[in-house]
This record gives sequence, structure tokens and C-alpha cells, in this order.
Amino acid sequence: MTSYALFLGCTIPARQPSYEVSARRALTKLGIELVDLANMTCCAPPPVQSLDLETGLSIAAYNICLAEEADLNIVTLCTGCFESLAMANAMLKENEKLKARVNQILSNAGKEFEGSKEVKHYLQVLLNDVGPNRLKENVSKNLSSLKVASFSGCHLLRPSALLKFDDPEKPYIFDDLIETLGAKSIWYRHKLKCCGGLLRGYADDVALALAREKIVNTTKAGADCIVTLCPFCFLTLDLGQVLMKSTFHEEYNMPVLHYSELLALALGIDPTELALQFHKIKVYSVLNKIG
Amino acid sequence: MNEVKVGVFLSDCGNQLSKILDFNALTNYVKDVSDVVLVKRNSEFWRGEGLRIIVDAVKGGKINRVVVAESLPKLSEVSIVQAVEEAGLNPYLVEVIDLKDHCAWPHRETPKEATEKAKAMLLAATERAKLLEPIEKLEFPALKSVLVIGGGIAGMQAAVDLADLGFEVDLVEKEPFLGGLAARAGRFFPTDDCAICIQSPASDVKTITHTSRKCVYRSGFTEIPNLNILANSKVVGVEGVPGNYKVTIEKKPRYVNELKCVRCDLCTPVCPVEVPDEYNAKLKTRKAIYMITPNVHPPVYVIDESVCKFRDCAKCVEVCPTDAIELDQKIERVTLNVGSIIVATGFQEFDSSVIKEYHYGDYPDVITNLELARMIDGFGPTGGTIIKPSDRKPAKKIVMVQCVGSRDRRWNPYCSSICCMISLKHASLIKTAYPDTDVTVCYIDIRTTGREHEYYYERAREMGVKFVKGRPSEISRDPETGRLIVDVEDELLKRFLELDADLVVLAPAMVPAEGTKELAEILGLELEEDGFFKEYNAKLRPTETKLRGMYLCGGATFPKDAPTTSLHAHSAAMKAAKFLITGKIVKDQRTAVVNEEYCGDCEFCPVTCPYGAISLEPTSEDHIVARISDLLCEGCGICVGTCPLNAIELRHSRPNQMLAQMKALMSINGTSKPLILTICCSECGHAAVDSSGMAMMQYPANVRVMKVPCTGILQVHQFLEAFKVGAQGVMVVGCKSDGCHYEVGSQQAEKKVALARMLLKEYGIEPERLEMFNMVYIEGDKFAEAAQTMTERLKKLGKLQLMEGS
Amino acid sequence: MKQGKEEKTTNQAFSDVITSRLGGETITLCYQCGTCASSCPVARITPRFNPREVIKLSLLGEKDEVLSGDAIWLCCSCYNCQERCPQKVEIADVIYALRNIAVKEGNIPNIYSEFAAELINEGRIVPISKFLEKKRPDLGLPSLKPVGVDALRKIFSITGFDKIKQEKAEAS
Repeated sequence: MTSYALFLGCTIPARQPSYEVSARRALTKLGIELVDLANMTCCAPPPVQSLDLETGLSIAAYNICLAEEADLNIVTLCTGCFESLAMANAMLKENEKLKARVNQILSNAGKEFEGSKEVKHYLQVLLNDVGPNRLKENVSKNLSSLKVASFSGCHLLRPSALLKFDDPEKPYIFDDLIETLGAKSIWYRHKLKCCGGLLRGYADDVALALAREKIVNTTKAGADCIVTLCPFCFLTLDLGQVLMKSTFHEEYNMPVLHYSELLALALGIDPTELALQFHKIKVYSVLNKIG
Repeated sequence: MNEVKVGVFLSDCGNQLSKILDFNALTNYVKDVSDVVLVKRNSEFWRGEGLRIIVDAVKGGKINRVVVAESLPKLSEVSIVQAVEEAGLNPYLVEVIDLKDHCAWPHRETPKEATEKAKAMLLAATERAKLLEPIEKLEFPALKSVLVIGGGIAGMQAAVDLADLGFEVDLVEKEPFLGGLAARAGRFFPTDDCAICIQSPASDVKTITHTSRKCVYRSGFTEIPNLNILANSKVVGVEGVPGNYKVTIEKKPRYVNELKCVRCDLCTPVCPVEVPDEYNAKLKTRKAIYMITPNVHPPVYVIDESVCKFRDCAKCVEVCPTDAIELDQKIERVTLNVGSIIVATGFQEFDSSVIKEYHYGDYPDVITNLELARMIDGFGPTGGTIIKPSDRKPAKKIVMVQCVGSRDRRWNPYCSSICCMISLKHASLIKTAYPDTDVTVCYIDIRTTGREHEYYYERAREMGVKFVKGRPSEISRDPETGRLIVDVEDELLKRFLELDADLVVLAPAMVPAEGTKELAEILGLELEEDGFFKEYNAKLRPTETKLRGMYLCGGATFPKDAPTTSLHAHSAAMKAAKFLITGKIVKDQRTAVVNEEYCGDCEFCPVTCPYGAISLEPTSEDHIVARISDLLCEGCGICVGTCPLNAIELRHSRPNQMLAQMKALMSINGTSKPLILTICCSECGHAAVDSSGMAMMQYPANVRVMKVPCTGILQVHQFLEAFKVGAQGVMVVGCKSDGCHYEVGSQQAEKKVALARMLLKEYGIEPERLEMFNMVYIEGDKFAEAAQTMTERLKKLGKLQLMEGS
Repeated sequence: MKQGKEEKTTNQAFSDVITSRLGGETITLCYQCGTCASSCPVARITPRFNPREVIKLSLLGEKDEVLSGDAIWLCCSCYNCQERCPQKVEIADVIYALRNIAVKEGNIPNIYSEFAAELINEGRIVPISKFLEKKRPDLGLPSLKPVGVDALRKIFSITGFDKIKQEKAEAS
């Protein structure tokens, strides 16, 4: 059994239990052990980097240090956490001067960043540790009538020079993993564009406008649902539709699912055990298409 | 050896110098220097009466060493040396110094001190002159034949130039047909002539004296008797020296006998193999046996061996009326002996598919300029119609995207310089033929810097071509309609456009032709960081390389338009002709010489020599010694500075000559300031000293200048010697680190100086007494300032205390 | 824009300030091709933000306009521009650098002050509701591990992050 230190982050436990439940259930079922480490903190995502990049890097490095001490690689569920941690990991491994500076800061907290561990998004675990073949073998439901508009979130792919996850202009890993479950991943305009999630709270109007574009484009393309990897994207697109209704009087009812939920459903885990009631836009239409 | 008799000739520059320097004192001083038999003073010595005085003294056998103090030595030295040689003395027994710019002018405010310095300078020149030795002129054979690599516009032009001048020329082209990239361009700016002109040289060889332009496919290019075309061939090896290279060529089988093929075209209809035609941007197909267009050189079919079924088919063999098809041809190796090599391998379009957001290669309707050129060409695959490759329907809305991979630090940081004009030309040609076609050009900057070029831009606007200032961020395709959408910000309107297009034409960067790197390795030529061949010096020595005998032209050095390429080709041809025209290379032996007794078993000098002039050869005693090619040696002395065993010397700058000069310069002070020895190179370093003097910048007379060929010659012990003979400080003045006339000399000197400073510290001598400066001609002020600073520094340090034995 | 010699010295100073900051190193490479703006999802929606203009203003030395304005806070950090910039200007990182400078000068939007406060107090920027925390066992989730907030505070004391709120107070 492959073990990882689970980096849970803030948004998932704070708002999206269905993400956590489905991810834990599905990954465990596929033979991945998730270890919860004590004393992890916020990953230092863009809002923290905006306040002070150096502090942000140091926080990320601190959390990686905890995994280094436990001798485990990190797996994240949230795309934002993946970016913060993987970016810091890569920057500090590449740049000796920066590493020295960060270690000087970390020494006050009794830590030293070594650069001995990897930060992975759970998609990489599915791809490399489980593998598409085993994944396919474990699929027990038929998703073939489901047309999925995938949206990985920006920070799975970019900055690609540091994250090295997938081709930033022609990504395929996420779509392939959707199709491995049997669903069809469809094209829609501006698929790789941001959902505006990070602007929520500062410029809600702009954030909502961006989310609306995404909903409009996916609806136009005839998607049955949007599948995301990032709790921020999820929130923007799911809760966003409620706001669209009140702001623009537009009703789309486009279900938004986490990939982990789709995965759990495909693996045959009972939908009632997945806390799907926390979705603002109901997902019955999707459940009905899963045979 | 004959008795040394030195004549010293002092020019007072029309009494200008005698206002500062005491010439009587100088004359009296020099008279008493040993071996000086003649001292003359005149207003000038480099021409007329003054020069006659020198010549008479030499002719009469009165003197056999000549020391001249003359202004503007760069100019005057040439005529003095020439006259001395004609008078029967070896010209390398002459020493010319500059009492004006190196002494009187910069020290005009302290005339007494200046006179004392002048004495030291004259003594140093005399002491050096006494030790000079005659240097011979050598002759090397030069074959009057040239290899031109690359059969595009540049190579063909250079080949014809040289053939016209009577040289034997071999033109090697890797493709089966001549013409290169330019031949595919359809039409050329700025004249809009058809590019087919390029498939043959630009002049009609039979009527070379005519100025009227001749249509080239009738020019008889292949019939020039002293021009040998080797198509489908590549250079695989080169040996030898400038003037006499042995080149190995690998000739791929054509499978069609050039002498028998009559171009009847019976073979292509029967050929069953049909493949996309690369030459025509895959917009049509061709057979396995083919010619790219009807009017090409050589006008002979070729079989594409990667797709031909050979003996399993052989239908062409059956129908060929002249038995020209020879399926058993094998790769041939040809050896050529040539005096010179011209590289004209050109450039090619950058592979735009790596810029993923533009989806070149994914979307068939995203094409490149060269592919568009094939469509515009009336002889091309679409007969001049602009189509969408996806459905072959006419393209009515065209968006052009500039700077694709150019000015892009991810790929090619440089501006490819011709793409703006290519796109403007294409836009105009499309608008002329199909006025209702909508053409939009997205650009960062439009660059139309040549004659007539701006007119293209103007004409395009007149014709209604739209221009959007902004670099597109993405090209996407609506999967339902298949239409392309170009996302761009019109910066001037600050508006975000989503341009709808049938066809998107990318203007890709121009990058070095495939195989450039391999060829550079074979030839021993250097490449620039961007991958193009390195010209020796773009300003002073264009089309030349560091290796004499090898020249470059056309797009091999950087992307160029057709007119510039032609000029460049003429230049390279001229350089090659100049090099070979007399059938011999005359070169004096101002070169390095190895003392084989000391030399052995190390490999430093061949590695450091920037000219590849040193080879290691085993001797009978089972050890290896360095051998220096007098032909390749440039006489810089970098090997001398590198040799750990003091086994190498320059014939024209021996250690004893340098030591004698140093001693003399330090033997008289005449000032109350600490003596400084300035060792400068004969290029930028010396020029900086000249220019500070010329501008009458003042620095103290305790600063004494000794010239060496290149600071790279200096060895660590020489700095110590300078202190031993009385210098309180040493300044080394060389070219800029990256601007050394001998490539690496300055850098070598910097290392030596750093090392010497460490040693000085060990000996208890302040390391700041020794410093290296890098200057160019226009930095005379920097020299004067450095001399001042150094003097002040040494004053503060006080007198140098040398330990015994150090 | 103001003209004259005095302005010039200010210009130099501001681009120096940016290039010497983590993330801001590449700003001077910009040649205003507009790829960033065209790639920017926000710029397409609102005229309040255009990355090309933010860079241009910064390079022209319009420090006050850049730092006290709303534009720099409207970047959604999607890195689309940075991926595509032909001059390898790290645009999103430049924006971070500009935000960092603005924060140092006391220009902090309220929501960011709240993030800072949460981080300093709780070690997280998104607070976890007691309701959901209590519900975890029912959902089959393990209870949450303690947060390393003390360690973070030790980090902040070195980087000066704990002073951010104070700076805000002083500036206002």
C-alpha cells in the first residue's frame, strides 16, 4: 500500500465535506493510505503570497518539512494547495539562495527544508500509483452517457515551469482520467480560462462574471455537468450559480462535481454516503445518468 | 652575425615637439648609447627628404637597425618599413615610437620630466632594436578553387561570381535541387519579381556583360564549364589548411543518370507511389520519382528512396526511353581539393508547433508564411488560389500573426528581420488578386527598414489590409463550425478582439538551417548563441570567419532578404577571390616558435590557441611536442603566456627584447613620482594610450608604456621582473574581455594578473601595485585617469621594498 | 503624467524597487506586446485591470497610481499571461511583488487584512465552522489534527508578517 501525507488544506474541511469524504473513500478503496499529520497549516495560497511572497514560501516550506520529518511524500486534494506547495518545493529545490533565506526563517520554528520529498496532486497518484488500467478495472458503474465539461483549475497546470504537471496549453491528463471512468470529456470555449475564484471577496462582481462565462460556455457545449479538482473553483461555480440567479435572474442548474465524487460514484460507492447534500446545485440529473 | 649599428631618427614634427622636449639633450643622450652610430633630427622622417635620409643611411650600409621617433606611427611606420625594405634591409629591424602622443602631448605641462621620459623611451627603442632579428616572408600554395556549401540564393550567387572570375567552383547542395528556401517564396520584395529567378543565379552567365536582366531558367547556369554542381550531397569531412583543403563529399544516389535523363516525363505518370509534396507545403502530392518544378537545376528527375518500391515496381525503368533510371546507384564519396570554402547554408522556418497556444500542426488552417507563399505562387499547388487546407475552399478571412517564435525569449530572442516584409508582401499580393479578401495583420512592431520597404506598408494600408497592434494570445477553433478565432488585444483601442478567420498565417522566426551545427563541427567553425554561423566581426570583417580561407554568406549568418543576401554573397566571393587570386599566400614569420628541448607532454597551448595553429606531434624520443603552423599562427603570443615551461617564444617579441625594453624604460625617472610600467597590447590598449595623448589629456611622466602584441603573451614572472628592474607599479592595458582582437588574450592576461597578485601578496608586496585595465580607443580619458589613480595609489603605498631573491 | 528630470529619477527608483523584490525581477523585459492582456480573463471582463497597463505604468514610474489603485488586486493569479509572455516576464509574480510593496506601504484591501488576521490567529485563512467540525464523525471523517499556529507565528516574527496589521493601522 502506498502511503502519503494528506495535505487537507482549509477550504475542504471548512466547506466541502463531500470532497473529503469521496476522496478518502475512493483513494482508500484504490489502495492508497492517507496519513493525517499534526501541525499542518494553511498552504499559503495566492492571498498570502499577495501579502508577502517570502512569508508564503516559508509557510509552504514549513508544511513540506513536516512531511520530510514523517518521511512521506505529500498528496493534496485541493489544486490551490498543490500549487502553493509544489511551487515552493520546486523553487526552493532550484534556487540555493532562496532556500538558504527560507531556512534562515524556518530555523526560528525549528525546521529545515531539505528538498527530499515530492508534492503530488491526487490525480498524479491515480495516474502513476494506481494507473489507468487498475482504475478502469475498479469502475463498476456505467458513465458512458455522461458528457463532462472538465475544469482542472488554473493552479494544477500553471505556472508550468515549476509545477510540471501537464502541458499548460494542451492538457490531457485530467480529461484522460475522466474518460478512464467511462464518461465523455467535451470541449468548450475558453476551457483553460480562470473561473475567477480568487477574486471572490475582493471583486465579487468580476468573479461572478468570470464564473458565469464558464457556466454559459459549458451549457452551450451541452455538458451534463462540470467536473472540478479545486474547492475554490467548485465554490465559484456551484454557489456562483445561486448568485447568478439572484444577480442576473439566470438559472442554469449546471451540476458541479468534484472529480473525487465522480470517481467514488464510478467505483460504486453509495451516493448517499458521499454528503452530496452540501452541493448548492443538485446533482440528481448526473446520478440518473450513471447506470 | 654582423655588428649592430643603430641609426636613431628624431622627428620634431615641424618644431612642435621641441617646444616641449629638449631635442639637444635628447640627441646628446642618444649619441652616447652603445651601438648607436647615427643620430639625425628632422621635422619629419616618414616621407620626402626625411625618409631619404633613412634610406641613404641604410643603402650606404652605415646602419642596420632603424629607430624612428615619429608621430602617428600607425601611418608613418608603413612607409618607413616599406622604404627600409626597398633599401635592402629586413623590414623587421625597424622600431618606430611616438614621442608626441606618448610623451610630449600628455606631459606638456612638465617639459623637463617629459624630456627625461623621452630619453628612457629612446633608450628602450634602441635596446629593443639591437635585439631584433630578421624575419622572413613565407609562401604557401593556394589552390584556385572554391567549395561553396549550399545551393540557395547566396551559394549560387557566390559560385557564379567566382566561376566568372575563373576559379574552379564546386557547389554542394544537400537537397536534390538547387534553389533553397528562397525558391519557394513565390515572389520577392522589394521588387515583386518571381522567385524562380533564384532557382538559377541572378545573372545570365552567357551575357555577363549585359545589364539587362535575363530570365534565369534560360541562363545556362549548369553549363558554366568551371562550375561543378553536386546536388543531393553533403560535406562529411574536411582536412588541410587554408589554401589547400581536402574535402570529402557524400553524394546520395539520385537513381537517375544525369547525363541520360531527357526530362520526357514518361516516368512520373507510371509511378504508383504518391506522397505529400513537402516542397509545396503538402498542398499537393508528388510521385516517388519527381522534379520539384519544371525549371530547376539540375534539370534531372530524382527518386525519393524513402518511399520508392525499387525492384518491386520498377515501372519507371520500363518506360524510360534512354535507360536513365539506375536503381542500383549507391552512395558515392567524392574528394575535392579546394583553396577556400564558402558556407551558404541559409536558414529555415522555425517549427511553430512548439507554441502550443497557436495550434500549428493541430489545426490545418493555421499555416506559415512559407506555406502561404506556395499558394500565392501561380506555379504552386493551388495555382495561385488562397485556400483553407481543411476543406480546400477559398479563404476569405485571413489573419496574419507576426513574431511567432521571434523576439521570444522562450525560443529565439532576436528579430528575424524579414517577416514583417514577407507578411506585407503576402497581404498586398492577396489583396491585388482577391480584393474582397479580408486580411488582418496582428503585429508588435512593423519593421520596414529597407529601401522601398515602407512603401509596402503604405500600399497594404491603401489596399485595405487591417492592422492590429497586439500579439495574439491564442488561436482556438470552434469544433462545430471549424472556424478559427484569434484572441488579441488591440492595444491602441484597448479593446479585446476575437478575430474570426478562415485561415491564420503565422510569421515564424527564421532559424539556422538543419544540419548547421553538424557542419560547423566538421569545418571547425564557431556558432553564435542563436545557432547561426559566427562572422569574424560584423563591422570590420563581414563574411569572414576566424579561419582564413573559410567564408560565410547569406542566411547562414542571420536571416536576410534577397538583396542583402546577394550583397553578402558577392562579399564572400570577393574575399575568397582575394585570398586565392595570386595562387599563393604570402605571410611573414612573425609567429611563435617552439623550443623542442623544453617542450613536452602537456596540452595547454593547442587548447588556448584561438586559431588552431598548434598541433601536438610525437617525436622520436617518445614524447609529444607542440608544432606551430606558420600559416595559421597570428603571432599574438597567447601560447607563450600559456606555456608552463617557457618553451614558446614569438620571433618578433622575444623575452630578452621585452626585458631590455623594461629595463630601459625604468632606468631613468626624472620625476619625483614612482615609476609605473604600463604594458599594453598593440590593439585597443595601445590605441587608448594614443588617443589620450592626441587629446592632450595630462598624466604624469612617470608612466612608461611598453607595447606587446597582445596582453595574452604575458607570463606571471614578467610582472615580478618589472618590479625587480625598478617599477613601483605595473599597469596592464588590454582590450575588453569580450573584445580582444585575439579572442581570449585579454581574458588570459586577467587570469595571469590575478595569479601574480596572489604571488605578490605571498612575497609581502601590496597586490594593488599591479592592475589590469580593459579599454578601447575612445577611452583615452580612462587611460589618463587610470595613470593618475595608479600614481596616487603608489605614492600612498610608499617605496617598494623587495626582499632578496624574490 | 508629469514631465521633466525629477520624474526620471523617480522612474528609475520604482523599477529598481520592483526588480529587487522577489517576483519582480523580470518586469523590465516587457516590450508591451499585449499577449498578457489578451490572455487575461479579467481584462476581458473589466477595464479596471489590464496587466500590460500595470506593467507600463510601473515602468514609467507611476508608483502612486499603481500602488494605491485597485488594478493590482484584480489579478486572478491564473498565470495564463506568464505562460505565454514571449519575453518571459513573470507577470503574475510581478503582480505579487507589486502587491507586496503596496502592503508594505499600508495599502491593503480589507479582505486581505482579514486573511492576514485569520492566518496569524488560526493558522488558516478560511475558518472552519464548529458545525461542520462536529459533524465529521457522522460523515465518516477523522477528527481534525491540531494546526501549527505557533510555528507560523515564529516564522512571522522573522518575516515581519505579524506587523502587517500594524502597518495598515499606521497608514490609515
